[in-house]
Amino acid sequence: MRKLLAIVVCKLGRAVGKLIGRGSSLPGKYALKICPDILRRVTLPGTIIAVTGSNGKTSTVEMIAAILRADGKKVVYNEEGSNQIEGVTTLVLTHATLGGRVKADVLLIESDERYAAQSFRYFAPTHFVITNLYRDQLTRNGHPEWVFDSLKPAVTPASTLVLNADDPLSSCFAVGQPRVKWFGLERCAISSETPSGVYRDGAYCPLCKQPMEYDYYHYNQIGAYRCPHCGHHRPEPDFRVTALDLPGGTLTIDGAQTISLAFRSIYNVYNILAAYSVCVLTGTAPETAAGALSNYILKTGRMVRFTLGQHSGMLLTSKHENSVAYDTNLRYIRDCGEACSVLVIVDAISRKYFTGETSWLWDIDFDLLAYGHVKKILLSGRYANDLAVRFGCTAVDQDRIQVCPDIREAVEGLEAQGSEALFVVTCFSDKDKLLHLPAVHKEAQ
Amino acid sequence: MDIKLLHIYPDLMNLYGSYANVTLLRRHLEDLGNQVTVDSLLPGEEADFAQYDFIFMGAGTERSQLAALSALLPLAPTLRAAAAADIAMLFAGTAMELLGKTVVDVQGQEHPALELGSFRSVQGSKRIVEDVLGSCSLFEAPVVGFMNKCALISGVETPLLNGCQLGFGNEAEGGPEGFRYRNVLGSELTGPLLVKNPLLLGAVIAAIYRRRGQALPEEIPDYPFEEQAYSVTVQQLRLRCQKP
Repeated sequence: MRKLLAIVVCKLGRAVGKLIGRGSSLPGKYALKICPDILRRVTLPGTIIAVTGSNGKTSTVEMIAAILRADGKKVVYNEEGSNQIEGVTTLVLTHATLGGRVKADVLLIESDERYAAQSFRYFAPTHFVITNLYRDQLTRNGHPEWVFDSLKPAVTPASTLVLNADDPLSSCFAVGQPRVKWFGLERCAISSETPSGVYRDGAYCPLCKQPMEYDYYHYNQIGAYRCPHCGHHRPEPDFRVTALDLPGGTLTIDGAQTISLAFRSIYNVYNILAAYSVCVLTGTAPETAAGALSNYILKTGRMVRFTLGQHSGMLLTSKHENSVAYDTNLRYIRDCGEACSVLVIVDAISRKYFTGETSWLWDIDFDLLAYGHVKKILLSGRYANDLAVRFGCTAVDQDRIQVCPDIREAVEGLEAQGSEALFVVTCFSDKDKLLHLPAVHKEAQ
Repeated sequence: MDIKLLHIYPDLMNLYGSYANVTLLRRHLEDLGNQVTVDSLLPGEEADFAQYDFIFMGAGTERSQLAALSALLPLAPTLRAAAAADIAMLFAGTAMELLGKTVVDVQGQEHPALELGSFRSVQGSKRIVEDVLGSCSLFEAPVVGFMNKCALISGVETPLLNGCQLGFGNEAEGGPEGFRYRNVLGSELTGPLLVKNPLLLGAVIAAIYRRRGQALPEEIPDYPFEEQAYSVTVQQLRLRCQKP
């Protein structure tokens, strides 16, 4: 009876929530109050794919759904991003019959990395993808090893783990697990013998804390690592990008499937590879997966094109408090090569909670903007002064830096001058402060 | 002056811009006309602490912190001697716990620490992550920062912050935070503490000059962005204090 009541309340709550534009976690919250173990009592599909990690969850999940649907499967997933247990409960019950059977071939779950242990207390994914673990949202997460320890109880032998071979920390989830499949990027044009980035989270082995060695780095601590002390090392991937041409916009998986990239970012490469790997593992033909991914444009894309005066602009949405995400976008600007201006906005550090914490600015490799084609860097938002202090400690020519805390004033100043390309680097929490300005004209995707 | 700074285990205790404390201190000292060198100490290496004007260790994960403690413990007597000789030091973030008598990890295992103070840090399964606005024992203006720890620290008799208007101190919400002994500063506030607090940076510089028997130059450069960044953060944290 409690089970039925929980399902009905959740379905009604979701229907009402959609009408009034409320989020998708509240119905699940009520359902869990009525029947705390409802997720154990429902009948789930035979394939349950979970995706978690610091970066790339939402994009990877969206691409998995696209592949599986192209393969003719019925997939349900938390498209609105409510990724803690309440959101997962809403997802499951909304798509269940009144008897509790989920009407889908595949249940696909984006899971918050800190709370995955709660979400998977009553059932285990058949396939569990962990994209990576980086420094992310220190004001909530503490640090990556703290997140690792929080996530570990959710990793059980009941799941096939699908792990990033190139990440020295998240690869540690394989220890003691019977079924692990790996994805990774082979040495390619972007690989380097020396580490990049401001800090070196790959300097010491996450298992034994002795110095690690690398054959090559792809970016930050991602690459081919090995610990001479305890033997922790990059495993041989089961699914690998064997050729990558980022400027040309193509990658090849396992020497056979070539995929065109709608967005030429190293992030996109890893997200595509993770999505491809888990879909092939669950029975999709490699050709079908590659076909669905080729030139795939994310609905949740974080790149927005716009015009401002004579400028052709591109918003590169980064996550505040996530230096690897920033570095990836800054690398994109470095590699574009054309004369440009860059507007960096840090106004509200989070859209969900208050914090005045700016330490993470010092983890971002702003030296990636110390190139001749970056003609001007404008720093804006409430924390523009913090940005100015940070930029004062970079190799960027200080004459190219301007500080304007008022975002509107900064944008209007840009509108009035020049026609060079414009990149804007900021977070979800601040992007609308740009896009909602009358001078900014967003292009259709 | 020729001034020497020592950064202990920079790639092991490196969380959230810890290095920037050394970067900005170096810059300010150079702006005052000094020749500054920065040495790094790696785990397993010996160090002659007495030759340095400033010694720094930043924040690390709890596993890194215990690895750092294990490596540094054999050097504890010389580090204590350097502290007794008034050499300026900053142990920021989780490094502060190492200055005490013992660190108890989350499994309950007790680790002897460097014993510059007699306090005890007991780590738990709850993480304390929050903004801090505190009153400092060195100057009147508030100190800003971010707490990121899982330890309760008891037995500190000379804290750096007398209390916190916002945030968690050593062992209680609003309580005293950090540790002070001669020119040694310890604070669990993570990341670039000296960058965020120009007066604390000034206090470290003053301590370096004092120990060398030198007067600070009369003309001190202005750093408007650092001052304004600090003011904005203080203003934001005060607004936060007013919210229920």
